[in-house]
Amino acid sequence: MKHAIRTMIKARLLPLVLLAVFGFLSCASLPPAPADTRIVIFHSNDVHGKIDNYAKVAAIIAAERKSGVEVFYFCAGDNFTGNPVIDQYVPPGEPMLELLNRLGLDLLCPGNHEFDFGLENLKKFAVRARFPFVCANIQAGDLLPLLRPSVVLKTASGIRIAVFGLIQIEAGNGLPSTHPDKVKGLVFSEPLTKAREFKSLRAGNHVLIGLTHIGYEDDLRLARQMPELDLIIGAHSHTRVDPAENVNGVLVAQAGSDNKFLGRIELLVRGGRVVEKKGGLIELNGPMAEDAEVKDMIARFNSNPAFAKVIVTAPLAIAGKEALGSLMTDAMCHVHGLDIAFQNGGGIRLNRLPQQITIKDIYTLDPFGNQVVEIAMTPAEIRGLIKNSFEKGGNIDLQVSGITYVVRTDDARQIKEIRLSAADGMPLDENRQFKVGISSYVASAYDFSRQDPGHSLQSTTAEALIRYLQSGVDLNVYRDVRRAFWEKTTEYPRP
Amino acid sequence: MQIKMNDQPIEIFSGACVKDVLRKYSRAEWRLVKNDRKAVFDRHGHQVALDGELNGGEEIFTKSIELVKPQP
Repeated sequence: MKHAIRTMIKARLLPLVLLAVFGFLSCASLPPAPADTRIVIFHSNDVHGKIDNYAKVAAIIAAERKSGVEVFYFCAGDNFTGNPVIDQYVPPGEPMLELLNRLGLDLLCPGNHEFDFGLENLKKFAVRARFPFVCANIQAGDLLPLLRPSVVLKTASGIRIAVFGLIQIEAGNGLPSTHPDKVKGLVFSEPLTKAREFKSLRAGNHVLIGLTHIGYEDDLRLARQMPELDLIIGAHSHTRVDPAENVNGVLVAQAGSDNKFLGRIELLVRGGRVVEKKGGLIELNGPMAEDAEVKDMIARFNSNPAFAKVIVTAPLAIAGKEALGSLMTDAMCHVHGLDIAFQNGGGIRLNRLPQQITIKDIYTLDPFGNQVVEIAMTPAEIRGLIKNSFEKGGNIDLQVSGITYVVRTDDARQIKEIRLSAADGMPLDENRQFKVGISSYVASAYDFSRQDPGHSLQSTTAEALIRYLQSGVDLNVYRDVRRAFWEKTTEYPRP
Repeated sequence: MQIKMNDQPIEIFSGACVKDVLRKYSRAEWRLVKNDRKAVFDRHGHQVALDGELNGGEEIFTKSIELVKPQP
C-alpha cells in the first residue's frame, strides 16, 4: 500500500518537479531583467535599388538614436533588382552595400533577389557588410560562410533579442524566386517547417523575432503556428501593413516596397518580457529632414559611370522595329537557350540604336523591366499567339527569333492562314513542343491558349540584350533582317 | 500557378507579380490602377504594390482609391 501511494505521489509529482527544474533552468539562462526598456526597431524591405529616400531614413534613425531609446535597423531582403542605374553598378550591388553600412543596418535576411547577381557576388557583399546575414532555411556551407540561422542582439541594458531569418521557396522547384543557376549548390528547406526549430529560442531571450522574406500570407501562418514570437518583420509580397497587425499575439509588420515607407516598431520590455508592442509606417515620399552625407552618396551612385559606358561598337546603327525586334529576340534565345522568342512592337521604345551602344541605350530601348517567361508551346499554340497579336492592331506586331512566319489575310484583314517556318525554311514539326520565350508583358496582356502556363526566368529582357551584346555577336546580320510577314490576298481559295 | 483576382481565378506563369495578374484579368482595370484611380489589396485589406511577388493560391482585389482614402 505504502509502495502504491509512493508510486502515485511520484507519478503526480514528477511532472511538477521536472517543470520546476526546467523552469528554473530557463530562468537561470535568462539574465536578470533590467528595468523597463523601450526598444525601437526600424525596418525596410523590397527596396529593389530605390535608394533616393535613404537620406531621409538616415535622418529619422539618427534622430531616434539621439532620443536615448535602444534603436535597431533591420532589412527583410530584396535590395537588388529594380533600378538599372544601381543594378548595373560595378561591382553589382555596391551602392546598396555602402548605403546600408552607412545607415548602420543591424541585420539582413536575404530575399530571393539577393541572389540575382550570383553567389560569388553575394559572398563578397557579405564579407564587406558591417551587419550579419540571418536565414535559417538555407544550408550554404562554404558557399556563404557568413550566413547564420539566427543571431542574438543585446541592448545596452542587457535585453537579449533573438532573431531568426526565413526565405521563401517556390512550390515547384523548392528554390527561391531567382534563376536556378544563381543558387546552385545551396540547399533550401520549407520555411514554416524550419521555423518550428526556433521555438526553443523563447527560453533564454527576452524578445523573439522572425525576420522573414516569405510574403505576408506565410507571415500570418507563421504567427498562427508560433505564438512564442513577439514580432515578425516580413517582406516579398510588397505589402503595406499599417499599422502592424496583431495575429495570435504576434505583431506582424511589412513596409511596402521601393523605399516608399520606413517601418517603425516600438517594444516595451518589462520584467523580462515584451508587455507592449506596436508598429506603423513612416511615409518617405514627402519633404522631411535628410542626412547631407547620405544625400551626397546617393547623388554619386545615381550618376553611375557604368551606365554611360559603351558596351559595344556596332558596325552600323541598328534601326527599325524588324531589326531591333530581331536583335532583342535573338538575345533571349541566345542567353536563355530558347528555341523561339517573340518581342511585341510596343515594347521597342527606340527607332534606332546608335553605333556606340551604352547600357543607358538598352534601358531606353527596353525600359519596362519585363521578365523573360519561358513557355513550352506547340506550333498550333504559337499560331494562337501570333493570331491574337495580329488581331490587336490589324498588323504585324510580334518580331521573332528562331522561326519566320507569314500571316495571310483577306482584304478585310481576316486571318486565313499562319505559316511557320524553321530557320532553314522548312515547316515546323507540328508534334513538337518548343521552348518559347516571351516577355512577362506579352505573357499577361496577350490572349492565347496554351497547356503550359510558363515560368519566369527571373531575368529581364534588357539584361538578356546586354549579355548578348557583350558576348561579341556579329551585328551585321541586323543590317537588313525581316522574319515576320503579312500577305494580303483578294482571292482566297475556299476550303 | 493560380491567383484569384476579384474572386475570378487567373491562371498565370509562375513567378508572376501583381501587375501581371492584373493585366491578364482586365486591361481596363489595369489602366485604372496605372492611373491611380484604383489600387490593389490582399484579402486582409492591405495594399500591395504592382511589383509585389505572389505565390499560387493567393487572392487579390482592386478597390477605388476614393473608397480607401480616409474621409476628411
